[in-house]
This record gives sequence, structure tokens and C-alpha cells, in this order.
Amino acid sequence: MSRRGTIFSMMMIVLLPSLLSFALPARASGEALLEIPFEQIQDQARGTQVRWYMFGGWAHVNTWVDTYVAKEMKKRHDIDLVRVPMDAGVFINKLLNEKAAAKQTGSIDLLWINGENFKNAREADLLFGPFAGSLPNVKKHVDPDSITHDFGFPVQGYEAPFGRAQFVFEYDTARVQNLPKTIAELKAWIMAHPGQFTYPQPPDFTGSAFIRHVFYAVTGGHEQYMAGWDPDLFAQKAPLLWDWLNAIAPFLWQKGRTYPKDSAFLDTLFARGEAAFSMSYHPPHAQNLILQGAYPKTVRTFALEDGSIFNTHFTAIPFNAPNKAGAMVLADFLISVDAQLSKYIPENWGDFPALDMNQLSVKDRKRFQSVDLGAATLKPGQLAAVAVPEIPAAYLEALEQGWKEHVLDR
Amino acid sequence: MSWTDNRAGRLASGLAPLLLPYLVLFCGGVMLTICQSFGVFTPLPHVGDALDAYVKILNDPAFFSSFGFSLGVAMVSAFCAVAAGTFFAYQVWQLPAKLANAALIYKIPLILPHISVAFVVLVFWSPSGILPSIAHSLGFIQTMQDFPNILYSGWGVGMVLAYTLKGTPFAMLLVLALLVRFDVRQIQTAAMLGASGVRIFFSIVLPRMAPAMHTSFIILFLYGFGAFDIPFVLGESRPGMLSIHVYNLYFKHDLARRPEAMAILTMMFFFAVIFIIAYAKTVQRLENGVRKL
Amino acid sequence: MKHMVTLLLLALFFAVPAGVLVLISLAPGWRFPNVWPAGFSFSGIVFFLQQKEQIFSSLASSFGFSLLTVGVTFCMCLVPAAVFARNDFFGKAVLEGLLLTPALVPPMTFAMGLHFFFIKLSLADTLPGVVLILAIFSYPYMFRALVAGFQTMGEHYRICARNLGAGPFSILWQVELPLLMPAVIAGGSVVFLVAFSEYFLVFLMGGGRVASFTGLLMPLLSSSNRSLAAVLTLIFLLLPVALFLLLDLSLMRSFRKKGMA
Repeated sequence: MSRRGTIFSMMMIVLLPSLLSFALPARASGEALLEIPFEQIQDQARGTQVRWYMFGGWAHVNTWVDTYVAKEMKKRHDIDLVRVPMDAGVFINKLLNEKAAAKQTGSIDLLWINGENFKNAREADLLFGPFAGSLPNVKKHVDPDSITHDFGFPVQGYEAPFGRAQFVFEYDTARVQNLPKTIAELKAWIMAHPGQFTYPQPPDFTGSAFIRHVFYAVTGGHEQYMAGWDPDLFAQKAPLLWDWLNAIAPFLWQKGRTYPKDSAFLDTLFARGEAAFSMSYHPPHAQNLILQGAYPKTVRTFALEDGSIFNTHFTAIPFNAPNKAGAMVLADFLISVDAQLSKYIPENWGDFPALDMNQLSVKDRKRFQSVDLGAATLKPGQLAAVAVPEIPAAYLEALEQGWKEHVLDR
Repeated sequence: MSWTDNRAGRLASGLAPLLLPYLVLFCGGVMLTICQSFGVFTPLPHVGDALDAYVKILNDPAFFSSFGFSLGVAMVSAFCAVAAGTFFAYQVWQLPAKLANAALIYKIPLILPHISVAFVVLVFWSPSGILPSIAHSLGFIQTMQDFPNILYSGWGVGMVLAYTLKGTPFAMLLVLALLVRFDVRQIQTAAMLGASGVRIFFSIVLPRMAPAMHTSFIILFLYGFGAFDIPFVLGESRPGMLSIHVYNLYFKHDLARRPEAMAILTMMFFFAVIFIIAYAKTVQRLENGVRKL
Repeated sequence: MKHMVTLLLLALFFAVPAGVLVLISLAPGWRFPNVWPAGFSFSGIVFFLQQKEQIFSSLASSFGFSLLTVGVTFCMCLVPAAVFARNDFFGKAVLEGLLLTPALVPPMTFAMGLHFFFIKLSLADTLPGVVLILAIFSYPYMFRALVAGFQTMGEHYRICARNLGAGPFSILWQVELPLLMPAVIAGGSVVFLVAFSEYFLVFLMGGGRVASFTGLLMPLLSSSNRSLAAVLTLIFLLLPVALFLLLDLSLMRSFRKKGMA
């Protein structure tokens, strides 16, 4: 019994998993996709599945992708969209692993990416492209000058625009009356109201953006950094930032001993009254949460006079994407007028469009202008007045690493 | 076939379905972890000495505070879970048959995944949660800041609570399994001879439950030490649990730092093995010194 | 009286959290200082219905790989458990200890070492890869249950059947497996639960490609939409409960009648 039983068991162990693994059919060669007309790419992508890996911490964004985008992709192109929640840093790491293992067929088709993750991906040659220039909607409606650089790093068509973001703070008018208008006033406010302010722990991108705002404000503005990475400049200016952050640390929520691990957690603290302010890269975010019932109706947003950082976020295709054609079709749809309009509506998401309004038809422009951003959102004019550009990506990494060393581990 | 005719061959082939995956996947996995900590088989070719990662880790005070913190959280939560589990198991065992089914609610945390148990702790104990609300309505506190800082105090109390909530039913399960085989007549005899309830518990019942208590302590302690799920939800920025530290090194940093993550994992592995051996030997020695009933 | 206290304590620690979850699922805005939710709304349920395809597919995926893990661990442990239960050999205690270690040491220690190689072998991001790693991590529970089962069963039935002329497969299929069922179910339930609730290993080896219910639940726990998290957690609770009730009512009742359990 022993021997036969053994063989039987071994067979089962081997067969059971093998029976269930199905190999994906090999996709058409990547480089060829860049030459052929887009209609052919759409035909090739028909009936296929596209896997889009993106940050999953925002429930309303997930819902918008799972309902509107998935439905439209199925209707217009017969493509099955699968959204996979994964932090950008984690999927970059996954691609690095796969590149090192020489894995030519991966499992990610499209990425939601920008900033230092894009830079790391390009430097490690993890992306397929340049494909953005082949997308009809990019050619028709996007201002090419607006997408040449991402956090100071040249894009060169390796990522397609998806949306625009600008940093705002959120507060409850019922709880906070005297709003701080500058970073200096914010510091005074924090010290006068201990335990009510905090920011997400870098490298969460909202928390990282917050410390960049402070960095600009306490070191004399953003222009000095736009030329590129300068380690001496950084070494000279960074201590001012650490001093500011360490000075307010004892007055933060939980006395600065711990920080919310991401922006969603800070939103929860704010919604539940534990924190007096929240922050977001999306000006209509507060309105969106008010509409959902998660925020009270008295919540409003404001931007500091020292400057509010704006940036563009993108989609990109990994080098080993199994379905590059489908990914291109999805990236093109996301930058279409319909998708950008749907995304702009606060009920859905509220992310600003990455389109050039001047290149749209009058009718389309009116559709965007007629969107009600809600009482809680700042007007575009107000936002433009304080908009400042993002810092080059190398500074960002130095700031995040330095925050850990000089503020967290202090 | 002749190789199965002798006993050793038969034993080996009988054990093969388990031994082969064990050797290849488990022992192989541990070997790969150790090798990668020395810079062998890493995704990126390793630059520098084999022991670089260990030197870096052992020179970092944050590593030792994480290690100590993980030990502390694991020790306290395992102890509380085993104590509470034993107590509850004893009480449940004494329930009359009609009420015994009602007692099955203790299995609820067993079924919930760890992240949900962490969520429950969050809901109850966070400053805007339920317990502060109850304290407020009873007049103990005025604002939510008055409520003692449980989850973010730096002591890992949140994680201890979650591990205890998840571990108590587990300990109960193991202890009850032993208790049901226990001959209740011994207790009745002792009671007839005049022993008090406490005496009965400590002299008669406890030694019988001891094997289950020790087993659950080892399992819960090592789980609390090295698991990822609960610290991911409830962990604090500093000090962090070792598993989160490894996660960050593995997923969020350069591939070049892979050996450091592997070095920490290697040390965790050997600690776990040494702990199991040491604990088992200590228990054996203690039990040999105790007069068996 | 003492029993009431016991039941009360059990209810307080173990049942009240479940009740609170039900309340949260119906009251997303429930916060300090309300001991009872101020207002109820169905937005959590609405959210759930909007996402139901994704929720059900993750649930099915988790269910699927958990059942497969039970199957694989059963195949791995059946014959070795018989060998262990029926034989005594040099180093048996040590081997038994060694075989139980994967459930004791932190799974990160061997899983992360294997990960890069699973990628190279194209096992990462696949269902077989996830099932393999879960099986290695959870087989000790099945092993112990089967060993205990074989020990309880004893050798008499097998010897009897062999004396009556049955071949090894018939013995296994018609005599031993039915007698072993209670132990298989006990071990299988633990393996199923462990695999079903696991987040990290599925996340590591599945790489986002193998959907899991825990993977769906995790990001929701820190979001402000607590209702959806509460609803999903309740599903997590009810599903195994329903399964076990089903098993209990059908199989275990027949075993108890036969005096096997």
C-alpha cells in the first residue's frame, strides 16, 4: 500500500496545480505596435483583458474605475478591465524583480504612475514606449508642452497623461475658525492647538507633498530647485526643513510619536474629528467625500499663500506587459474627453483634466465649465494663483529619506 | 522492487509526499533566504562582502529596538491569550450541556482574518471609537483627547489587544480539546476530600492542561513575533515591528538592499528555532521535576 | 449564576465586536461621542452592490485556492501520516518536530527567500504558486489531524480487510478514508481557514494577479468608508460559519450517529 499510495499522492500533488495553470497566449510584439495605425491596435485589443495596477487606497477612485471605465471599455472596445490595487513603489519593485529574473511576460498591462516612481522605472528601463505620441486623444487634445517633464524628469512619450492634481488642505468650518494662511501661521496654529494636526508618513505621496510645501516655504521658494539636483544646495537647505518639522513634532497628533500611514487614514482621522485638517492632491476630494456622507457638509478647502504644488499624473506600460495593445487602448480612452469629464465630476472623483481646453471644441469646453465642483472646492482661478511646480524627483527621494533620518528616527 | 522491500525504503517512500515538498520548498526557501542575505542568488549582483548586510543591520540601533519591541508585543500578547484562553476554557468546560452551544461564539475571532480583528480593535479603541464614546457618556472624559492613548502610545498596545483577541479562542480550543478527555471524577474526589476550587484548579486541572498551554504559547508567541497582517493595520511608526521593517526593505527600497531584508529574516528564523528548542527543553525539565498524578 | 457570568464575558469579548460590525455597516458616519449611531444609511450597502462583481470574484478566488490548499495538503499528508501513526523508527520524534516547523516559524522567513525563484520559475503571480506556498505553510495542521485520526482508527480494520483479500487501493478507499473523515474534516477546516484568512503570502506570491478577499479588504480598513469594510468583514465571518454549519449538519451528524465523532 505504501508504494502505490506514495505514487498516487505524488501524482496528485504534481497534477493538481499543473492542471490549473494556464499559460497566456503570447501577445504581438511590442515594438511593432508603435508603427501600426491605431485602428489596428484597437482591433488587436478587441476581446482581450487588460490589467491595470494602481494605488488602491481611495475607494471612490476604485469605484469609478470598476464601474464607469470598465463599462465603457467593454462597450466601446470589448476589453475586460481588471483593476489591481497595488502601491506604486510595490509594483515598481515587482517589475524590477521580473526584469532581474528576465521574465519577458509579466502580469501588469497598465500602470498609474508619476514622479519618482516614473524616474526609477525609466532609469531601470522598465517601461515600454515611447507610446504616448501614438495615442489619438493625446495628439488631438493634449498640449505637448504640458507633458514634457514629470517632476523634472523627461517623459519622452513613455507615459501618457491621465489627470492633474493640486495640493489643498481640508478643514471643517464648524470646528476651525481662524485659518492659517501661510506655513508660518500654520506652525503657530499647530502650537496653539496641540494634538490636532498631523500629516501622512512619507513616503506616502500626500505626506511627502506636505513636507515639500514646507520645504519651499522655509527655504525661500521653489525657483532655486528647478535647475536640477544639486546636492550642496540640498545639504545647505534641508536642515531648515528638519528644524521646522521637529519643532512642531511635540504638538502634533500623538505628540508626533506616530504618523498616519497614508492619506486615507488621515482622511478618516479628519472625518472622525481626531484631526483638524486633512490634505489632498485633489481639490474636489472634499466635495466628493461630502457627497458620500463621509465628511460633514461644513468642510471646505484652502490653499496656503506660500504656494500649492500641482502636478500631472500619468499612465505607463511595463516592458513585459502581456497585452500592450489593450493597454494603449485603455490609456487612450482615459485621456478622452468623455473619460476626463466623468473623472472631473466630484461625485465620481474630481481629478482635474489633463486636456488643453483650447484644443477642445466649444461644446466640449462648455461641458467642462458647467461641472459643479461644489461649495467645498476652490475655484480654478484661486488655485492657479498659488500654483507652484513640483520639485525634481531626486530632491523628492532625498527629502523622504531625510525625513526618516532626521524627523522620524530623531 | 527491491528498494521498497526493506523497511527504510518503505518508510522513505511513504514519507516522500511530505518530505519532498518540505525539503524543496521549506528548507529550500530558508536556504535561499540565508544565501540571499550573503549576497548569493540576489536579483542584482552583490557588491561588497558577504557579511555586509549583517554588519549594516547589527550596527543599526533601530534594528535592536524593533527586535525588542517585537519580542515584547509577542510575549505579552501570547501570555495574555493563553491565560485568558485557559480561564475561559475551564469555565466553558463546566457549563451545563444546554449552554455549551451558546458558548460556541468564542470561535468568532478564530474565523475572522487577522486584519479584521485589527479593524475591530481600531473601531473600539481609537480616540474617536466606541470605548471613548462610552467613557464620555459615563462622564469620565470630556473630549476625545482625554481618553488614554491606547493605540498610538508607542507600546504596541493595539497590536497586543488584537493578538490577544485572536489568540484567546485558539488557546481555548487547544485547552478544551484536552479538558474534554479529562476525567471529572478526579475533581469530584478532590472536592469531597475538602479541596477548595482554587486548589483543585492549580493542583489537578492545570497540570493536565499544561501541554496545550505550552503548545499554544509557543505558537502564539512566534506568530506575534513574526507575523505581518496585524502590524500592517495597527502598527505604529516607531518603533516598528520587525516584519514591517522587512516588508519596507523588500518592497519599498532598492533591490540592492535585498540582502539586508534577508539578513533580518535569517536572524528571525534562527531565533524562532532556538526559542522552540529552549522552551521545549525547559518545559521538559520542569515537568520531570514535578510529581505526576 | 456562575455560568451566566461566563456566558456574559464570552459575549462581551467575542460576540459584541460582531454586533458592532453590523452596526457600522449600516452607519458609516458613526463616531465619537455617540455610543449608538446617530444616523443610519445604506451607503455602505450601496457601495457593496456597486462592487459586487469584484467582491464575488475575489471571494470565489479565495474560496478556490483555499479548497485547493486543503486538497494539496491532504495529498501531501495522507500516506506520511499513516506511516507516522503506525511505525516507530529512529529519529521519529525529531522528524515530527522538524515537519511541524513551517507552521511555527514566521512564514516570511522562507516565503521571501522563495519569491525570487518563484518568479524565475514563472510560479509567481499564478494560482499554483499561491496554493504551493499556502500548502507548505499550513500542512502541519492537516498532518497532526491525520496522525491523530490514524492513531484513533488503529490498524485492526486495515488488517481485517487485508485478510479478507482487499487490495491496498480498496482498503484505502472503502475502509480507511471513510473512517478518517472526521479527522480530515477537522484538519481541513483549519487549513481552509488559515488559507482563506491569509493576506501576506497571497499578496507576495500572487502579486495582485491572484485575487483574494483579504486583498480586497485590506485597503478599505484605513479608508473613511468603514461601512464597506464592516460589510466585507461580516461576509468573511458568515461564510465559514455557513460552511461549518453545513458540514456539521450533514456529515458530522451522520458520523455521530455511527459513533465516530
